[in-house]
Amino acid sequence: MEKLIEILEELQPDVDFNTVENLIDGRYLDSLTILSLVAEIEEEFDVEIPTVEIIPSNFNSAKSIWALIEKLKEQ
Amino acid sequence: MRNVVKALLFTVILFILIIISEVVLIPGLDIRKNGIFKQANYELLGEKKNTIDVIFLGDSLVYSSISPMEIWNNYGYTTFDCTEAAQVIGDAYSYLKVAIENQHPKIIMMEANVMFRNPRKRKFKDKIAYILKQLVPIAKYHDNWKKYIGGFSKNNWINPDKGYKYITDIKSSKNKNYMSFSNEYEIIPEQNIPYIKKIIDLCKENNVKLVLVSMPSQKSWRYTKHNTTLKVALENKLEFIDLNLINLNIDWKTDTKDNGSHLNYLGAKKVSNYIGKYLKNTNLVIDHRNDIRYESWYKALEKYRKASFNK
Amino acid sequence: MSYFDPGFIFLAVPILLLIYNLVPKKIRPIILLVFSFGLFIFISKWLVVFLILSILTIYFVANYLDKLNKKRNELINEEPDNKKAIKEKYKKYKKRILILGIIINVSFLFFFKYLNFFATNTNLLLDLFNIDFNFKIMNFLAPIGISFYTLEALSYILDVYYEKIEADKNILRVALYLSFFPQIMEGPIARYSDTAKDLYAGYKVTYNNFCFGYQRILYGFVKKIIIADRLNFLVNTVFDNYHTYSGATILVGVIGYTVMLYMEFSGTMDIVIGIGGFFGVKIKENFRQPFFAKNISEFWTRWHISLGQWFKDYIFYPVSLSKRMKKLTLKARKVLGNRFGPLISGAIALLAVWSLNGLWHGAGYTFLFYGMYQFTLILLGNIFEPTINNTCKKLHINRQNIVYRVFQSVKMTCFVFIGELFFRAPTVKVGFGMLKRIFTSFNLHNTLKSNQLFTLGLDIKDYFIIIVTLVVIFIIVILKEKNHNIRTEISKKNIVIRWMIYYILILSIIIFGAYGPGYIPVDPIYADF
Repeated sequence: MEKLIEILEELQPDVDFNTVENLIDGRYLDSLTILSLVAEIEEEFDVEIPTVEIIPSNFNSAKSIWALIEKLKEQ
Repeated sequence: MRNVVKALLFTVILFILIIISEVVLIPGLDIRKNGIFKQANYELLGEKKNTIDVIFLGDSLVYSSISPMEIWNNYGYTTFDCTEAAQVIGDAYSYLKVAIENQHPKIIMMEANVMFRNPRKRKFKDKIAYILKQLVPIAKYHDNWKKYIGGFSKNNWINPDKGYKYITDIKSSKNKNYMSFSNEYEIIPEQNIPYIKKIIDLCKENNVKLVLVSMPSQKSWRYTKHNTTLKVALENKLEFIDLNLINLNIDWKTDTKDNGSHLNYLGAKKVSNYIGKYLKNTNLVIDHRNDIRYESWYKALEKYRKASFNK
Repeated sequence: MSYFDPGFIFLAVPILLLIYNLVPKKIRPIILLVFSFGLFIFISKWLVVFLILSILTIYFVANYLDKLNKKRNELINEEPDNKKAIKEKYKKYKKRILILGIIINVSFLFFFKYLNFFATNTNLLLDLFNIDFNFKIMNFLAPIGISFYTLEALSYILDVYYEKIEADKNILRVALYLSFFPQIMEGPIARYSDTAKDLYAGYKVTYNNFCFGYQRILYGFVKKIIIADRLNFLVNTVFDNYHTYSGATILVGVIGYTVMLYMEFSGTMDIVIGIGGFFGVKIKENFRQPFFAKNISEFWTRWHISLGQWFKDYIFYPVSLSKRMKKLTLKARKVLGNRFGPLISGAIALLAVWSLNGLWHGAGYTFLFYGMYQFTLILLGNIFEPTINNTCKKLHINRQNIVYRVFQSVKMTCFVFIGELFFRAPTVKVGFGMLKRIFTSFNLHNTLKSNQLFTLGLDIKDYFIIIVTLVVIFIIVILKEKNHNIRTEISKKNIVIRWMIYYILILSIIIFGAYGPGYIPVDPIYADF
């Protein structure tokens, strides 16, 4: 989880990722940043995020992104 | 149940409000006496009584072909287009009754195409529009609110169109021979025949000259209709002018608004001039241009010119 | 035909609601289906065949995909060790079926909308090389809403392919999803998971839904009848004869067109959402206060949302997250850093999105240009974002500051005006000609002196009505942006205030509406796309 926050902060320094819960709907992460994020996560955690999972509810908070990673790891 | 009562009450209040706005937007009788404004069901009723000498009855072909203001400008006759989109002959008859009672015109020119329209086959859309106009007459003159803004003046209410619909669009067609000779007769729908007789009788009773006329149209008119109309005219000793056979110099490349179906302003000028000349030759109507009682027609002409200048 | 025909919205729809409510629940979806097909046939006659073909293809493709999914899962259960190989094998099968479904549906769209464009251009090329052969240019009328329902059809089979949803065994539900009558003309492009279930549920039309629906419809009428229809003549005149007008008048025409487009399109959406509400179907909003966006990129997440979302889900991410692109992103990030690395694959995907988005609106160079224009603006915005951010920090400008936000919105709105100028212009050349005149011969003084603005079919009273109505709509939009739910708030007020609001709405439409003699209503703009 800390690693994830680190990645996020590197991509978008102005946001407090521990508290914000509308990263997509509040437009903190635009679609191009998402691309970096996905590439970064896949490399770091050795998972593959399918395009189907790229929906706001999976990316609206650090917590939900972490949950997605956990889910993908299990598969 | 409570909701039904609520809905009913809502509707009733709505209708009251609509009626109030109708009253506000159609001023009282004193305006009618002085000026000229559009009336809902019968536009003609907006005219001062007994001032119109010639009435044109018919459908969209009439209101796109004859501009009374052109006739006034060149000949000084007072005319009016008593029309309705896709008019059926029953409605034409009702309008005629109103017109005769209100205006005692000298001449009625009835467009012959109306005789051939089957009232049952009238387009659904036209029917709805007609019903709506009867139900909510305000739909036709809602724009009158403009006349209250920027000072109220009687001149504001003068109607320069006299039933004509001013259209400058050009959608060209070809100059083709659509009136090729034929021996056949177009059939008049059964239920129209009594109305034709009623119209002829009504004109006779009131001593009004009835003339049958056809308006130039490549799509609505053909020789078979000419034959039938000529037959009706001969049987009843009426005059019949077929403008589709008379050379009016109509250039179908420029004078039509919808590829040969209706004329536009350019075409209407030509038809109106011809009609004016015809009226002159009847010796039944008078040039009112020097008559002070027809002052409002001058104001209307001024407005008409301004409108055509702006477009 | 338009949803704003009084005969449709105040006669046909209420009759439909009455019949719908009287029949048993099970038959209700059938009534909707019959009405939807009736309307489609009324508008497009025999071309309904193509709608039916689309329905049939996606129904069978989806069910076949589903079957493959089940078979694959069974096999995996039997031999878990072979999981990867089985998955790969079935993915290939599935892909073939999917592509077949896509090709069939896209070819209909291509046939009706793009064939002429390509034939014309090929002919030009052939002429250039003096080859004496020409493709015949044929003129057909496309089935109504083909651009919309084709995207819906594709999203359905793609969602089944991605296993987001299961294929529907009930072909009538698929048919209703694709043909639901309020959506056939101008969308929004719905997803199967959003509307299909509710559409087929046969919920009764309740008194509340009835009132809410018609309130929303009235709001749509205000936008369309009072504003859009009033601007129609002005916009057409300016765009058709721009060289006879001063730059100032052209600017008014250009702004007028954007306003007209917004009012016509969002007004239609009000009607669509209102009608959906009658039947308990929540059709997603297609507009979210677009002019409050900070930049063009955000604008497109607030204007015609369903189209943008479609391209994002089915073009942008699949392209940019494909295996090859991912490798590219990783490599690029090492060289260019985190900010610019992903921009490369992002830009490629974005280019695909905006070329298709432009062409979706119509086969023509103006639309292609319009797409490229949006692409360039969004890309530049992304490249310069860090620079702007740093500059602001150095200059101590707070980017959340209201002044800065207004500046952003104004800047973005100007970009939108220019984009819509090319969108409406008959050719790209005319577009540039108009733009040039705005800057080179503005002539404000002469424009006012010669009353040029009043020769466009509008008098000062018309302008006044437009501005007053826009101000009212603007206030409503601000409230919405601040998360007020206006309809709920109105419904909490007492009956006198509520009814007064409704009466004012209705009477304004009747009295100030731009209909009847002297006005030509706007044709449904997006229905042509």
